Amino acid sequence: MKLYVALTVASLKMYFRNRQALFWALFFPLLIMLVFGIMNFERYNSPNVGIVDRAGNPASEGLVQALSGTDDQDVLSVTLGTHDELMEDLEFGDSKAVIVIPENFGTPGEFATIDITYDERFQQERAVIATVVGQVTDAVFKQVAQVPDEYRVENNIGISESFIEGQGQGFKGWLIPGIAAMAIMQTGLFTVVFTLVRFKSQGVLRRLRATPIGASHFLAGQLTTKAIVVVLQTYVLVIVGSLVLGVTVGQGRLGAWFDLTILALLGGALFIAVGLAISGWAKSEETAAPIANIISMPMMFLSGVFFPLSIMPEWVVGFAQYLPLTYLADGMRAITVHGDSITTLGNELIGLAIWIAISFVIATRLFKWE
Amino acid sequence: MTVITDPVLVAQNLKKRYDDIEAVAGISFEVKRGEVFGMLGPNGAGKTTTVEILEGMREADSGEAFINGINIKEDPTAIKSIIGVQLQQNAFFDNLNLAEIVDLYARLYNAKVDPVEILGRVGLAQRKGAKYKELSGGQKQRLSIAVALVNDPFVLFLDEPTTGLDPQARRSLWALIQDIQSSGSTIVLTTHYMEEAEELCDRIAIVENGQIVALDTPDALIDQLLETGFKPQKRVREATLDDVFLNLTGHELRD
Repeated sequence: MKLYVALTVASLKMYFRNRQALFWALFFPLLIMLVFGIMNFERYNSPNVGIVDRAGNPASEGLVQALSGTDDQDVLSVTLGTHDELMEDLEFGDSKAVIVIPENFGTPGEFATIDITYDERFQQERAVIATVVGQVTDAVFKQVAQVPDEYRVENNIGISESFIEGQGQGFKGWLIPGIAAMAIMQTGLFTVVFTLVRFKSQGVLRRLRATPIGASHFLAGQLTTKAIVVVLQTYVLVIVGSLVLGVTVGQGRLGAWFDLTILALLGGALFIAVGLAISGWAKSEETAAPIANIISMPMMFLSGVFFPLSIMPEWVVGFAQYLPLTYLADGMRAITVHGDSITTLGNELIGLAIWIAISFVIATRLFKWE
Repeated sequence: MTVITDPVLVAQNLKKRYDDIEAVAGISFEVKRGEVFGMLGPNGAGKTTTVEILEGMREADSGEAFINGINIKEDPTAIKSIIGVQLQQNAFFDNLNLAEIVDLYARLYNAKVDPVEILGRVGLAQRKGAKYKELSGGQKQRLSIAVALVNDPFVLFLDEPTTGLDPQARRSLWALIQDIQSSGSTIVLTTHYMEEAEELCDRIAIVENGQIVALDTPDALIDQLLETGFKPQKRVREATLDDVFLNLTGHELRD
């Protein structure tokens, strides 16, 4: 145990003296997060709205279609669903408004009121959505209900607005856990791959095998170091990100930090095992680096780190939802944005557990000391 | 204090095959307490494989070996804790300084040492705060000898310690090895420099194709050759080119 502590301390020293590793583990993700967060890419997107279609007739379908726009030109990003689901999305910032189309919408001669609930913090989006809905209902109603021109649309369609104060953190709040998850992947993969492959090719591990303790203890110390780094790095990214970008973590729930630690350790274990598998197999850094990149690059873009999975084609989402980084990013986001407890993340935990098992089996099969 | 057996090392008919090459083809020898035992031979003769079997890094296909009465096959961990090892290719951690490296290795042997004292024995006390990659070739070899000394070993294995060093560094390393021997250590050394073997070794084994083809003191081996009527192709002169080089460039280390 004393030896294990000594080895861990020694490898922590090695790690924190390695400026390059520190750059990639901490400053690089921090930089990306702040740049993306401050540029706030979200405002270039059409606002997300949820629509509850209670009428379900050709008139209401036409309205939904018109609000969605064409494939080339989104007017609004529309999600259909039940009132409860969509209100939850609004509550947590996944959408900017919920539009309820009443049952009597499109029934000739009846006065229908469309209810729109906004997140009051997003007045700019409210203005856009209100304008779009006003123009579109005008056009659709004239067309579908076949009301003669002399009847003004306003006579038959009303729009009522209400507001809630949402808990959502917007794109910034969304980005922070994504980047933190990505950083866990990068640290697990690359720092393990680069240090171990170098130690292997230079003969450091060989020399350790000539000692009575052997290299496996040393390896344990190294891996403990990476786990500590992964947790510290997650704290730094989430704390700095939330301070600079002005978002609250876990809806202010203190237990969120404990849950984040657990998830960071699980993610760390997963990607450290992948790193071990690569470095166990590869003989030199030249072969290890491309493999690590081939594994990490697609996940960086397909796992909802920078942009939500929902904006991607369905066939991509079909497999991207099973990627290890997707489980990690989704889990961390549920904790930091929604304030969920880790106990509610069954799907993500099972996904991570399966990937951890797979990568540990592969790592133990592939690992060679020399 | 543990009793040290004499001979301290016994190898009996060691054999090791790699695919279709018999790297070690029945090697037997004994190393006496306190001697410097040299294993000489061209590259690929089987020296390093033999040494690695004795170090517990490789398992022999057949044959037995004992260090201080402990069977290597049965308890390689016990062997590793009583020997010191300098491998042909040594590398240490980039981001630790020399004192930290020595300290870490001492912990791996559960030995209590003063890292600066050990570094002083190999002439590196001044550089205790330096990083491994900042060292010259000769200093790197000295560090790996220092690391091999942390557990006060019964037998010190040095695998081609002077390969790639300039004459000054080589001679300074020879002095260090003689110094270590005079403090009572037993040393097993491999080399392909005959001059080095003659200078350092009490007895040498010449290895060729995985077998020992001669084993005796350097003087006895030379005498045996002369008795066969051997005449050197070149007249032996009082000095060598090595002497010329050292005379012109000085004996001081350039590290």
